[in-house]
Amino acid sequence: MLKRRIIPVLLLSNGRMVKGRQFTGYRDTGNPKTAVRIYSAQDADELVFLDIQASVESRAALIDVTRTAAQECYMPLAAGGGVASVEDIRELLLAGADKVVVNTAAVTDPALIARAAERFGTQAIVAGVDYRSEPEPKVWIRSGTEVTALDPIEHAMHLVELGAGEILLNSIDRDGMMGGYDLAIADKVAKAVAVPVIVCGGAGNFQHLADAFQKTAVSAAACASLFHFGDNNPIRARSYLRNLDIPMRVLR
Amino acid sequence: MSTQPALRRCARCGLPETYETIEFDKQSLCNICRGAEHKQKNIDWDERKRLLDQLIEKHRGKSDYDCIVPFSGGKDSTFQLYYLMTEYKLKPLVVRFNHGFLRQTVAENTERTLKKLGVDVLEFTPNWKIVKRLMLESFNRKTDFCWHCHTGIYSYPLRVALMYKVPLVFWGEPQAELTSYYDYLSDEIEYEDDKKFNMLRTLGIAAEDMHGMIDTPEDPVDIRDLYPYTFPDVDELKAMRYCSVPLGSFIPWNYAKNTELIKRELGWQTDELEGVPSEINQHGEKIECFMQGTRDYIKFIKRGYSRTTQINAFHIRNGRTTIEEAQPLNAEHDGQRPPSLDIFLEYVGLTEAEFNKITKGMAIPPYDHDFESTRVADKTWDFDQWFREDNRSQP
Amino acid sequence: MIGIIDYGAGNLASVRNALDQIGREAVVVNHPEAMDGCERLILPGVGSFRLAMEALDHTGWAEALREYVSRGRPLLGICLGMQLLFDEGEEHGITPGLGLVPGRVVLMTPRAPHRLPHVGWNNLVHVGDHALFEGIKRDVDLYFVHSYRCIATDAADVIAWCDHGGEFAASIARGSVAGMQFHPEKSWPVGIRILENFADWDGSC
Repeated sequence: MLKRRIIPVLLLSNGRMVKGRQFTGYRDTGNPKTAVRIYSAQDADELVFLDIQASVESRAALIDVTRTAAQECYMPLAAGGGVASVEDIRELLLAGADKVVVNTAAVTDPALIARAAERFGTQAIVAGVDYRSEPEPKVWIRSGTEVTALDPIEHAMHLVELGAGEILLNSIDRDGMMGGYDLAIADKVAKAVAVPVIVCGGAGNFQHLADAFQKTAVSAAACASLFHFGDNNPIRARSYLRNLDIPMRVLR
Repeated sequence: MSTQPALRRCARCGLPETYETIEFDKQSLCNICRGAEHKQKNIDWDERKRLLDQLIEKHRGKSDYDCIVPFSGGKDSTFQLYYLMTEYKLKPLVVRFNHGFLRQTVAENTERTLKKLGVDVLEFTPNWKIVKRLMLESFNRKTDFCWHCHTGIYSYPLRVALMYKVPLVFWGEPQAELTSYYDYLSDEIEYEDDKKFNMLRTLGIAAEDMHGMIDTPEDPVDIRDLYPYTFPDVDELKAMRYCSVPLGSFIPWNYAKNTELIKRELGWQTDELEGVPSEINQHGEKIECFMQGTRDYIKFIKRGYSRTTQINAFHIRNGRTTIEEAQPLNAEHDGQRPPSLDIFLEYVGLTEAEFNKITKGMAIPPYDHDFESTRVADKTWDFDQWFREDNRSQP
Repeated sequence: MIGIIDYGAGNLASVRNALDQIGREAVVVNHPEAMDGCERLILPGVGSFRLAMEALDHTGWAEALREYVSRGRPLLGICLGMQLLFDEGEEHGITPGLGLVPGRVVLMTPRAPHRLPHVGWNNLVHVGDHALFEGIKRDVDLYFVHSYRCIATDAADVIAWCDHGGEFAASIARGSVAGMQFHPEKSWPVGIRILENFADWDGSC
């Protein structure tokens, strides 16, 4: 049976890890390479690196972190941030990422998803969908600075049609607030597509993870603050969820 | 408190669902109890002892010291030192990391032990000003203020191993006794290596990241001040073919027998613990640190269980008591507010209201602590000896 | 020496890093002439069956691998690499594969509510006593990421099964040719042990 996944997200800016709230007020939270070693020692199910700067320098740092992570740990990795071309995707895959997250470009150049899926396979392409909910749910791009007219659910469906293999759905409102995931929208998206959906934004304790898996059809839960600002680690999370009969990866 | 918090618990040892890494099987027994069963029945301890013999002979006489023994003066490290010296006649270098909260009984025990056994000893005491800042930062992020201690204790002896070129490092209790990060069921020798350090000693915060967190323009911190909490270079350790292992992977760890032995042979004394009835702690769990009561209180606020429950869980697994006898004691004694909390709050300059809010904010679901019914623990006999420093802002 | 084939469609770095980790000498070989001196080969693979076969045919690898295997040398295909070992793949119409293992590669059609691609940790059950799974628990979680599955004509070729809304072949072995649909190099620690087994395998059943 396929297990649920808990995926730590490492937000990067110019090669440093950062943490924000609602996509703003970012603080430096350390060297991603040491965080990778820690998550690797804790046998995290997967890791996601997202560069929020999307500048040339920041992208080079993202590739460097991905490469180091691939060299030192033997775990699934996804990377993204400012990915705008097939070449960008190829670079990250060559650096060691198993999957590449495409977010803004999926809105400005949706055909990129189709081209990339054709070239690298749908399983290598993760479509990132960031959204805010007020007054109604709308997709935002460029690290949450520019609104679009797109509804997140319809946008996700469209991207899957184009060839995205997974959806990384991120609630900007809930980001860093540690108040729980936006279960309603997560479930709607997960039920609207036939690919795995990764919910992100808001996890503050293990019950939030359990809620995501028990109350929605998502396949994975991504989190950052949960581990940075809580007495939690992926190993404890798996035990907590297994006690609730949620199938998680078994290491022993 | 007449009843324990309503949490799912192991039917055998009573540890609740909020205990880290605990998992319950269909018989409602926990993975740590299952591990203890396996340890008692299925591990070939003769084979493990042979491995220990081989390991020791491989290293005997090859360096200035046969091995490093990290030592706190508590029951485990005292036993492991005694065992290695009497059973194997080893020449160890004893290495001690002084976390800053040592108590008189453990100091006396230590002096008596080290003089009676006759060993060279290195002791390191880190910069107190830095320790205070580390305590506050790790408390804010993790509600665990002992980051300096976990990282210092588990990295300093390896730093010494490199310095003196002594590859063999013997610890004491295996992690499998306590949690399932490592378990007896895997039939493995545990290693106190960089993986374990990153997995559970750092609390998810590496030393260089901690530096980034506490270093501010107003109050800068030299990165070198974080070296005592940094795991040494793994390549250098591997080049030396280091072997850092707990003795408890080679001989079955028996805390009660171990303590009886050191009491008899070394005059080792147990001590009072804040909020714990002395009659259940004759084997001297956790007596080394005067902050223990505060650690235990934090645990209760977050997880709904504390030291009495934990000690009784060990007793139950070792057939020294039953869940029926233990439960009333657990309900009676867990969760008392310790006098040492005042000292902690003074060190880090927090009010009790702030402390309560931060701690409760990181509670492990489903436990929901109620401060209303909190009782206060008695002071231990040595409370007035403990170092005081009031850093709270004056009104 | 283990040769990791670079034909432009695989993520080699992870496989090589994993082998380094366990102290097994590995070298990237990007043309068949460089194959000598490699006593075993790994064919990684990510992406499209058709594009991968085009690359293998174009570079002469397809022919070279058939010859290599005919000498009884061990060959391990990982993920798409395993799929390429078969007679044909059905992505974008029928594409001939390397034809080293009878069978074909088809799009998975898992029962609801299972999703595609099949991504994540799933438990594999290995059957029999194959050297590649020596020392590995009978039922073990490994990392999968794929949408297609292999149907082996000869059921005896399947040495491990997995289930995702229906059973599928998780690992095959036919003579000295082996395949793993999961990514052993991404499935620390079990996967690394499996790679070790391959590194020690003499190519027999």
